[in-house]
Amino acid sequence: MNKPFKDKVAIVTGGSRGIGRAIVLEFIRSGAKVVFTYLKSADAAAKLLDEIKEMNGEAEAVASDSRDYAKARQVIEETLKRFGRLDILVNNAGIIKDKALMMMEPSEWQEVIDTNLTGYFNMSRASIVTMMKRRCGNIVNISSVAGVVGMARQANYSSAKAGIIGLTKSLAKEVGPYNIRVNAVAPGYIETDMTKDLKTKDNLTKLIPSGRFGHPEEVAKTVTFLASDEACYITGQVIKVDGGLAI
Amino acid sequence: MPDTRKDNLEQELREIIAKIVEIEPERITLEANFVEDLGMDSMMALEILAAMEKKYKIQVPEEKLNQLKTLKDAIKLTEDYLK
Repeated sequence: MNKPFKDKVAIVTGGSRGIGRAIVLEFIRSGAKVVFTYLKSADAAAKLLDEIKEMNGEAEAVASDSRDYAKARQVIEETLKRFGRLDILVNNAGIIKDKALMMMEPSEWQEVIDTNLTGYFNMSRASIVTMMKRRCGNIVNISSVAGVVGMARQANYSSAKAGIIGLTKSLAKEVGPYNIRVNAVAPGYIETDMTKDLKTKDNLTKLIPSGRFGHPEEVAKTVTFLASDEACYITGQVIKVDGGLAI
Repeated sequence: MPDTRKDNLEQELREIIAKIVEIEPERITLEANFVEDLGMDSMMALEILAAMEKKYKIQVPEEKLNQLKTLKDAIKLTEDYLK
């Protein structure tokens, strides 16, 4: 099997479940060594490590909270200690606290911004000097179509995801001269724990030209493409993986 | 550190910095501030740090980056991590 990421080292935040998990597995299949973080899902992380072991892959799971810069920095240090290098950062860890704005508590706004946007800043900031010194690196930020077109009852989530797009484009311009590419992937409705309880699934499906929710693996393939040398002239872009939802 | 080695270090670092900033080495005095006096941008400090690490096979924590403002700072940091 083709191993385009042989000897490469990737960090995936929020890697134990959902889209993050699919990204971790796709990197492992492609030959990368992976450090993934999780916050609460210790069981899911352990299960994923077992699965990776069966695939003869190399990975490490780190319990970490990217809302805290010092902890983000520790993840980078741990990665360098364990694998000696860092090639790819995938910022993926995210939460939802959906509610109409008129009912949204300030804390519900803040928690989503802290995890979904500040967490991405913290991980990017913690890893960028390492990448700049080597004049080589790749960052893929998981945004959302909510950040592109907006979603009712998701003012907090949409704002964070739109912020990620600004972060992606600004950083791409800043570190392009250092041979570091920064891109974003904006998934639409994907079959994960985050969407499994959606009561309006049938109605939502009608809005998707492809006629179905996406699979985490379909997002993961886009992420590994952007992180690969195949995409070496692509930076600062937002690639929607949404079955046409946000055309 | 013997003085001759220190002189060498000063001269070597001056040349490294001159190459990155693209100015004449003699303008880089010990006290000249990289940003205010030599027109460097903040990204160049990182390049200088990376060049120092490569040349002397040292590892300087990135937190020290904001202490690198003059040739004198560069000499001190190199000496500290050469030990």
